Amino acid sequence: MSSLRNSGLSIKALQVEYKSGQKALGQVDFTLPEHGIYTIIGPSGSGKSTLLRAVAGLLPDYEGELLFNGKSVHDQETLIGLVPQNYGLLPWKTVRDNIRVAMKITRPVGGSREAIEADITHWLQSMGIAELAGRYPLSLSGGQQQRVAIARAFAIRPAILLLDEPFSALDAITREALQQIFLDNWLTHPATALFVTHDVEEAILLGQKIVVMPSAKHDSPEILDNTAVFAMKHEKKRDSDEFFEQSKRIRKVMLAKW
Amino acid sequence: MVKKRRLPHLLRLLFVFLCMNLVWYIAYLLMNHPILPSPGAVYEAMFHLGAKDVALNVGYSLLRIFEGVLLALLIGLLIGLLMGRSPLWNRLLDPVVYLTYPIPKIALLPVVMLFFGLGETSKVLMIMLILLFQVIISVRDGVKAIPESTYDVLTSIGASAGQKFWNVTLPGALSVILSTIRISLGTAISVLFFTEIYGTEHGMGFFIMDAWLRLDYPEMYAGIMLFSLVGFVLFLLVDVLDYKFMKWRR
Repeated sequence: MSSLRNSGLSIKALQVEYKSGQKALGQVDFTLPEHGIYTIIGPSGSGKSTLLRAVAGLLPDYEGELLFNGKSVHDQETLIGLVPQNYGLLPWKTVRDNIRVAMKITRPVGGSREAIEADITHWLQSMGIAELAGRYPLSLSGGQQQRVAIARAFAIRPAILLLDEPFSALDAITREALQQIFLDNWLTHPATALFVTHDVEEAILLGQKIVVMPSAKHDSPEILDNTAVFAMKHEKKRDSDEFFEQSKRIRKVMLAKW
Repeated sequence: MVKKRRLPHLLRLLFVFLCMNLVWYIAYLLMNHPILPSPGAVYEAMFHLGAKDVALNVGYSLLRIFEGVLLALLIGLLIGLLMGRSPLWNRLLDPVVYLTYPIPKIALLPVVMLFFGLGETSKVLMIMLILLFQVIISVRDGVKAIPESTYDVLTSIGASAGQKFWNVTLPGALSVILSTIRISLGTAISVLFFTEIYGTEHGMGFFIMDAWLRLDYPEMYAGIMLFSLVGFVLFLLVDVLDYKFMKWRR
């Protein structure tokens, strides 16, 4: 039983169909160990966002099983932090209120007001946006909004962290800064994480394993081990030979599968 | 920045108000007839009105507007939300709203009087009827305009329907609700005047018509000025609400 209890997130024979009967996501099978992080890369329409939405509980209908430590992912106990591509902030709430709402929903009892406020301040500081606490999202840049969204996802201390192309709308410099900040925070609070991206470089920088989604729905995804690059210091990854080799390998899979 | 802009805005309002009085005074001089008293005489009459009397009449009018608006908001919000969130209810209720919306509600005044008498109920109901349909339609459209993805993060952390309503649906629809109230408030005040002509001895409508019957023209005009002032204050109130709740759009 102990193996079941700490088995992490297991995705078993997951399939999603549109109402029209067309497949939105071909069969997916893999297990993400607890406190692990995998990146998912695939062409548009390969169903990578669909996969994430299924895990997040945003799709009512899917086939297959989604388990976390042996229990359904959508159990009350399994908290899921989601970082959508459009940041998903409530425009009518300040940065602080956005995080507070999420925390209050996930921790309805216990936790004094001071503890919550201190927690919010802590997460805003670690994202480098403490001075934006009282601002409204519409007055922030995309990079700043995404920092808030990530702070919110970490603040609820989720068991599973889902990121849906969080940095794809940002410029290169902002993106690299945020990748670094995200990884630093994840390393100190390693929630079981799935990170969807369409950027090969990002997939190699942030994943222990890389799931390459096929463009054909009958094909199954290819899973590449990336522990060698992941174990390196973040600043050194880009210049390493392993990084170069890994991107060649991914491109080869892409040529075959896309 | 807001404060700096507020002063010239106030001065401009004051200037326009003085100009209107000037036009009025010129018209008074040209007409030279008791049916149009001078601004001075009207302000004097206003000054001589008993404070208690004015407070009672204004209070009654405000209470009727308040009750009517509140009722319309409660019912309209409920129906509008239902129609905005559930396609089934929208399909059922849409034809009802579509068919009843174009009926001129003021034409229902005699019907409402027949059913509910001449008292307070029919007055409040008339105001509610005028506002209700606009509130329903704008709430429904406002709720529909909130993108589904706005709910995603709250759904994924297991928020209840009530939590989603308080944090997403209501604030998202609030801007349209406020602008609807702003637009329909003018109509509501006009209807209030009509309903206060009969079956009451309080209210601004009664006060104006009473002065008219007594041929006390300065007092009649004073009543009209006061009535306008009430409307103006209500508009300011909606502006204040808008400023307080719509900060995020700036």
